Amino acid sequence: MSGAAGTVFVVDDDAGVRKALTRLLRASGHEVRAYASPREFLGAHDPAEPGCLVLDVALPQQSGLDFQIELAASGSERPVVFISGQGDIPTSVRAMKAGAVDFLTKPFDEGELLAAVQAAMDRDARAREVRAERRRVGDRLAKLTSREREVLEHVVAGRLNKHIASSLGTVEKTVKVHRGRIMRKMGATSLVELVRMADLGGVQPAPAQPHAP
Amino acid sequence: MGREMSQATETSSALDRGILSGLVGAARSRPWREALIVAAAYYLGAKIGFAFTFEPHPISILWLPNSMLLAALLLTPVSSWWMLVAAALPAHLAAELQSGVPPAMVLGWFASNSAEALIGAVCIRRFCPGPLRFDSFRDVGVVLLFGAFLAPLLSSFLDAALVRVIGWGEGEYWQLVRLRYLSNVLAALIVVPFVMTWATGGVAAIRGASARRATEAVVLFLCLLTVGFAIFDRHHASPSAFHALLNAPLPFLLWAAVRLGPRGASTAILALVMLATWGATHGDGPFVSSSPEENARSVQFFLIAMSVPVLLLAAALEERRKDAIAQRRAEMEAKEHRAQLAHLTRVALLGQLSGALAHELNQPLTAILSNAQAALHFLAAGRVDPAELREILKDIVAEDQRAGEVIHRLRALFKRGETQHQLLDANALVRESLALAHGDLVARNVAVAAELSANLLPMKGDPVQMKQVLLNLLVNACETMSGGATGVREVTIRTQLLTDGSVQISVADLGPGIPPDAASRLFEPFFTTKTQGLGLGLSISRSIVTAHGGRLWGANNAGRGATFYVALPGYRAGPA
Repeated sequence: MSGAAGTVFVVDDDAGVRKALTRLLRASGHEVRAYASPREFLGAHDPAEPGCLVLDVALPQQSGLDFQIELAASGSERPVVFISGQGDIPTSVRAMKAGAVDFLTKPFDEGELLAAVQAAMDRDARAREVRAERRRVGDRLAKLTSREREVLEHVVAGRLNKHIASSLGTVEKTVKVHRGRIMRKMGATSLVELVRMADLGGVQPAPAQPHAP
Repeated sequence: MGREMSQATETSSALDRGILSGLVGAARSRPWREALIVAAAYYLGAKIGFAFTFEPHPISILWLPNSMLLAALLLTPVSSWWMLVAAALPAHLAAELQSGVPPAMVLGWFASNSAEALIGAVCIRRFCPGPLRFDSFRDVGVVLLFGAFLAPLLSSFLDAALVRVIGWGEGEYWQLVRLRYLSNVLAALIVVPFVMTWATGGVAAIRGASARRATEAVVLFLCLLTVGFAIFDRHHASPSAFHALLNAPLPFLLWAAVRLGPRGASTAILALVMLATWGATHGDGPFVSSSPEENARSVQFFLIAMSVPVLLLAAALEERRKDAIAQRRAEMEAKEHRAQLAHLTRVALLGQLSGALAHELNQPLTAILSNAQAALHFLAAGRVDPAELREILKDIVAEDQRAGEVIHRLRALFKRGETQHQLLDANALVRESLALAHGDLVARNVAVAAELSANLLPMKGDPVQMKQVLLNLLVNACETMSGGATGVREVTIRTQLLTDGSVQISVADLGPGIPPDAASRLFEPFFTTKTQGLGLGLSISRSIVTAHGGRLWGANNAGRGATFYVALPGYRAGPA
């Protein structure tokens, strides 16, 4: 059993299919919650809860594809596995382009479904990790003074201390002190790690400047 | 000639060759056979004619040979007429010379007799170029007018003149004309219809007659003969019974005309004429009150007056009967064509739904597969909960049945059989049609609202065809909504009982509605507003509904979309 931490949200208007999928996914060790319509799903949705969406394409009122776009527009990054009673190529291409993990044509084998669900869960977990890391880095970056932030932008741009000092109108020694504080505040053990964190935190490298006359 | 033709057709198939040589053979042998028959009939007719001749007049009251020749001419192609006339000459000579008629008179009479037959045949052929039909009022009219009245009249002037010139027998010119005319009119009236109706399909009619029809014919003729004998084979002292007796055979002639058609009528007339003439010439019957000449005239007038309307009546009735049959057949054919067209459009409609139907089957298949695999998981994990396993198996069975129903519904619509009329529940029809359209509705993301009235009357109709109509309306409704921008896609299907007792089913969509320029042509065949579509759906739907005695129409809604209505008469069992 995969036993992935996360819930599989099943949205299918067909009660028989809904019930059978719930049963199969539970038997495979997944936490499952099933809904008959996108509205019902949204009504109970907590984006913070890890998991993926198994979404039927042919739904009354709103197609699964439209709902996928609506969901993404609302800021939810919940990975989607589509299931469809008639898998035509244009529909599946549209779904994959809009970021679906997989597009399964009914009737599908459990292997296909479980693999797709697993992939979706992994993607969700990864995305959640990245988001957590980004949040952590963001918190640390927020602790930097504006001068330290300035120095960091130059460091990320790959400048030598001498050049940074010259750009900022200070001396090389001061820059060194700033760098030490930055490393400490960010919890970085190496320059490489600092650069990766700055990148994750969205720090833009300082633009190249002409040397002071 | 037959040889040439069979050589010419050597390359064609054996079947063609068989038919051709058969035709050639018939064309080759028939004139001789017919010539022989004509000669024999002519001779026999002449002998009968002489038997019915009143002395001292030279003219028979029933001279059959001319009419026999006329009937023979009408039955054969013009090219072999000369052969028939030539065949009649020796028969004429044999019969007349035996009876002691002078040779000049014999030849004169042959001239007037054959002239009569030829005049009649030419005139009739002129106005009825095709095969003569005794089930046609017009054809019988032409035969009577030219064959029985005009030809005898013209030839009688010649005949009487020849008699006067040659000086055979007694009588004034006009008296002779009158005598011969009446005699030949009567002969033509009985011989031509009798011979022609029996020569064309008479044997087949006897072979094909049902036992009941044959019994009826036998009873009719026994009655007619009995009445005939009663009237004509008795000495009637009082002429007071004359009028009553005269009308006695009429019911039987009418019976023959109404029930047995032209063939039966002409046969009945022949039998009656023979009886009456026989009675008259033997001095019996109601016509024996005065001189033989008076007798003859009375008999002839009586028989002519009775035969003409009976023959025309028989023709008119037969014509109407055949018209009715033809009309019924045409109606049946139209119905059959409609059924075929309905089937074809139904198959096209189902073809349109096939993608959606795959969806309809894939749903239960998915459920079955997932349920079964879930059960295998439970078994593999050693967590066998009998209650859960039972639930799973029950679901599998239910889903399997659901798939079976999809197939069953489909097969019922593909089936092409007799249109059958049975009592239908409009709500059940709607539910079935929605089940059929479900895949398409879902694939096009259309939601359905069904508002079914519990207070309905049953309707009479063919369930398959009515489902086709509703399915067509549902598919149309879906298609109009799938084209444009995504708004609320909903179809509302309603059943209700109208105040006039008819049951109405309406299908309302929220699409763009009926374009104004399309409104008048919507139900025309091959008219379509879709990019793909035959344009037959609404046209065949309307013809189905109309054939059910109902109406189908469409109108734009006050708000968005359009609604199509089907109204069928409600069926009330027993007194309303």
